[in-house]
Amino acid sequence: MLFKTSDAHEALRMQVREFAETEIKPIAFLMDKENLFPGEQMKKFGEMGLMGIPYPKEYGGAGLDVMSYAIAVEELARVDGGTGVILSAHVSLGTWPIFAFGTEEQKQKYLIPLCKGEKIGAFGLTEPNAGSDAGGTETTAVLEGDHYVLNGGKIFITNAPKADTYVVFASTNPDLGTKGISAFIVEKGWEGFGFGDHYDKMGIRSSSTAELIFNDVKVPKENLLGKEGDGFKIAMATLDGGRIGIAAQALGIAQGAYEHALEYSKERVQFGKPIAAQQAVSFKIADMATKLRCARFLIYSAAELKEAHVPYGMESAMAKMYASDIALEVTNDALQIFGGSGFMKGMEVERAYRDAKITTIYEGTNEIQRVVIASHLIGKLPKESGAGAPGPKKAVPVTGYRKKKIFKDGTAEEKVNALVEALVNDGYDFTVGIPIDTPIVEAERVVSAGKGIGAKENMKLIEDLAVQAGAAIGSSRPVAETLKYVPLNRYVGMSGQKFSGNLYIACGISGAAQHLKGIKDASTIVAININGNAPIFKNCDYGIVGDVMEILPLLTAALDNGEAKKPAPPMVKMKRPEPPKAAPVGDRYVCGGCGYEYDPAKGNPENDIYPGTPFERVPEEWVCPECGEGKDQFIKA
Amino acid sequence: MYCVRNVTEDLYWIGANDHRLALFENIHPIPRGVSYNSYFLKDESSVVFDTIDWSSCRQFIENIEYLLEGRPLDYLVINHMEPDHGASLEEVLLRWPDVKVISTRKAFLIMSQFGFKVKEENCIEVKEGDTFKFGKHEVTFIAAPMVHWPEAMVTLDLTDGVLFAADAFGSFGALDGKLFNDEVDFDRDWLDDARRYYTNIVGKYGPHVQLLLGKAAGVLDKIKFICPLHGPVWRNNFEYLLDKYQHWSTYEPEEKGVMIAYASMYGNTEAAAQALATKLCEKGLTNVAVYDVSNTQVSYLISDAFKYSHIVLASVTYNLGIYPVMHNFLTDMKALNLQKRTFAVVENGSWAPKSGDLMEKYITEQLKDMTLIGGRLSVASSLLPDKAGELDKLADAIIESVNGEK
Repeated sequence: MLFKTSDAHEALRMQVREFAETEIKPIAFLMDKENLFPGEQMKKFGEMGLMGIPYPKEYGGAGLDVMSYAIAVEELARVDGGTGVILSAHVSLGTWPIFAFGTEEQKQKYLIPLCKGEKIGAFGLTEPNAGSDAGGTETTAVLEGDHYVLNGGKIFITNAPKADTYVVFASTNPDLGTKGISAFIVEKGWEGFGFGDHYDKMGIRSSSTAELIFNDVKVPKENLLGKEGDGFKIAMATLDGGRIGIAAQALGIAQGAYEHALEYSKERVQFGKPIAAQQAVSFKIADMATKLRCARFLIYSAAELKEAHVPYGMESAMAKMYASDIALEVTNDALQIFGGSGFMKGMEVERAYRDAKITTIYEGTNEIQRVVIASHLIGKLPKESGAGAPGPKKAVPVTGYRKKKIFKDGTAEEKVNALVEALVNDGYDFTVGIPIDTPIVEAERVVSAGKGIGAKENMKLIEDLAVQAGAAIGSSRPVAETLKYVPLNRYVGMSGQKFSGNLYIACGISGAAQHLKGIKDASTIVAININGNAPIFKNCDYGIVGDVMEILPLLTAALDNGEAKKPAPPMVKMKRPEPPKAAPVGDRYVCGGCGYEYDPAKGNPENDIYPGTPFERVPEEWVCPECGEGKDQFIKA
Repeated sequence: MYCVRNVTEDLYWIGANDHRLALFENIHPIPRGVSYNSYFLKDESSVVFDTIDWSSCRQFIENIEYLLEGRPLDYLVINHMEPDHGASLEEVLLRWPDVKVISTRKAFLIMSQFGFKVKEENCIEVKEGDTFKFGKHEVTFIAAPMVHWPEAMVTLDLTDGVLFAADAFGSFGALDGKLFNDEVDFDRDWLDDARRYYTNIVGKYGPHVQLLLGKAAGVLDKIKFICPLHGPVWRNNFEYLLDKYQHWSTYEPEEKGVMIAYASMYGNTEAAAQALATKLCEKGLTNVAVYDVSNTQVSYLISDAFKYSHIVLASVTYNLGIYPVMHNFLTDMKALNLQKRTFAVVENGSWAPKSGDLMEKYITEQLKDMTLIGGRLSVASSLLPDKAGELDKLADAIIESVNGEK
């Protein structure tokens, strides 16, 4: 066959190129300099029907193929790398998951305006602790009636905050690692959904990148994309396709730089002839063009595979990895050909040089691409540790499952009031109390001081709060042992007194493991600390990040009903919230030939049955690894 | 002297009682001995159902010869090939070389592995649903894989409703003349040994016992006698027996109650366990059984673990780990597939108590479907009065959980 794009593809290329040359090129330098987003231009691009290139016409798309989409990204990036990724993130990341996994209702509501370019899409997966490893996802979605409550945040999100529709990944079952991740469609403007600052990036500065912040965002149940637990699968499938877009972007950036360098090499005269006549330069040009051709073929081939619905994950990874690797080489050579001029701001090659770098990093670093490629070639070798639960188990907080509700909104006073309201709702009666010298193990409530309390006179704040909270006084180990603010028998911890009453208010306590072990049976843990990253906040039910000097007097006042506390009745231990139980991956089956038990969570990796494979999906030809009986000899455990 | 008893008019028990064996399977103590049951059917053909352990083979042969009255032995049905039943097969083959052996494909394979040579033409291989006539009596075969060996089957005599149940429904304990369940006080004298036998020998294979019980339920109205390979023959009160098997094979506790198993080096952990038991009883929860794991053989611990709804493990820390004997108990619970229990943990340690964490980790990660009661009691060397409050809370939490059970 003749490896060649069709006339229709080339016609589309010319259409996009013309748009890019006339609409984007004149403002490219300005956008780069000022961090500006080509909002108007992309709107126009949408009106041309090009924001939904690879999607069916019935959903407002252009009904073209994946290669057409790759060409469009390539052509935008050829002029401006940032503009290229706006389209790539919109089409591949923001729109595709809805197209591929959405219900008909979701498609009608979200896919159509995305394809028509009326709305811009984005994709929220990356988190501070979940970059290449999505199993570290800490954003949570908890089902409450007819909606999920989303909490957490995402970083480095392309098209945010410009985008209108976000596909966001959150853990609906933190115990299951990647298998507990679910995908949601979230709209800009929903209460609690905010954005951090626009990042000041090295390159692709015309593309907008921001942090997503979710604070009790209510996501209607019908905005769950796929099923609960499908999130990781959806994210990986999306990134398979997204790689084609990024590869095309890298190709475009490199292509643009190459063309500039080629032209310049023929114009620039030194030693009496164009530098292109120097073999050193001409060889560079030859190498650049060869690399571009290789990259282009890899990308178009991956696009064709995707279009034909045959496996393309490895090929798209190869395309992304190679195209971005050579984009760095080609832009570097292009800048070199330009010499000192290329080093100046305002030169396209200078911008391309910076723009190219991100393509080896985002949507799967090139190291991860190599992992993907290698795994296709070598297969998944059995993991070292066979035992244990499915997926990477997340560390459970020392104090067990906690609500971790951190009051962030409003003034300090409003936060304190919200805390008191939550405690009262939980059933705490602050008209009663116990003596502040009640032994810790007998106390129903304890107000405890950590080193964060500062000078000794501040213990007065603790005493006042203890009186109004109806609690005894406790402390962390250093406060009793080193600072000697309280007697040794009042420090709480593994090695000291264990608190297993109801309410524990930790003031200025950072939360050493030793201390946390002493309060893990508390019904409710409240944390007040100036350092929002203190471990205590991962181990509390309620928290206020703030200075104890400010918060404690406010809390004391809020709990003060103007009367002396009545003696507390005998303690009734309050129930703690039940942790969400890890859903079993599937039924276990027992072999009738030997009693071997197939556990879907563990699979049978020695025989290529990966952890997480339900028994029903184990191939019929599989036999018992212990005795060789057939699959039909197994019964449900 | 022959020693046989009639089960029905033409079916005889021809087994033997063993009081010399100290350890069944060379692991489980049997202070009450054990019986190896075999049965002889006098029909147009003569039929023996299963043989017995090699140790009592002489008695067994005498019994067969007595009942044969000089006739040859026609058939031998092997339901289960484990050597405590299959070992005398070799002697039967030597004495009656023309006997036809009826068994499953896997049982024939195992026979050859043990070196018992049945002539090819004398092998009658049967499978689930096959029937066979010995004259007046017609039997059908029901596969019972993994109860508790893969080759096992049970045989139902359709003519007079006798179920040859292999190792199902068996028990430790010698019969010593008695034969039927209504000739003994089973609940008083036999249940503990029956439970200890089931849980330690078959306990792991609950799903397959369930499968067999399901098949038995379909023909229950036809069953008049249950003839296991150990212990009494059942001829009434089946519902009592089936109820026990239902609990054991679904890992549901028989009783709401607390088993406290402690591992103590110098008596301090023991004292804590005793204090807890006393607290529980004082508060009205008296169905409490306390064991020292160091001098209670583990098969007894397993048996009670299957019996009670709640288990308290109290262990010292030993080499920064769980006390070995306690660890062995945990390992056995895992091996025998115990599930659906609620645990509480008491730990002791003089410098770095670790056993509590490790036992909880084992319970939640290695065992299935277990619940942990929080409020672990952590003892530093010995339980002093300052922990009275904690002890009290733990007792309350256990009682609340026991009472909360469905």
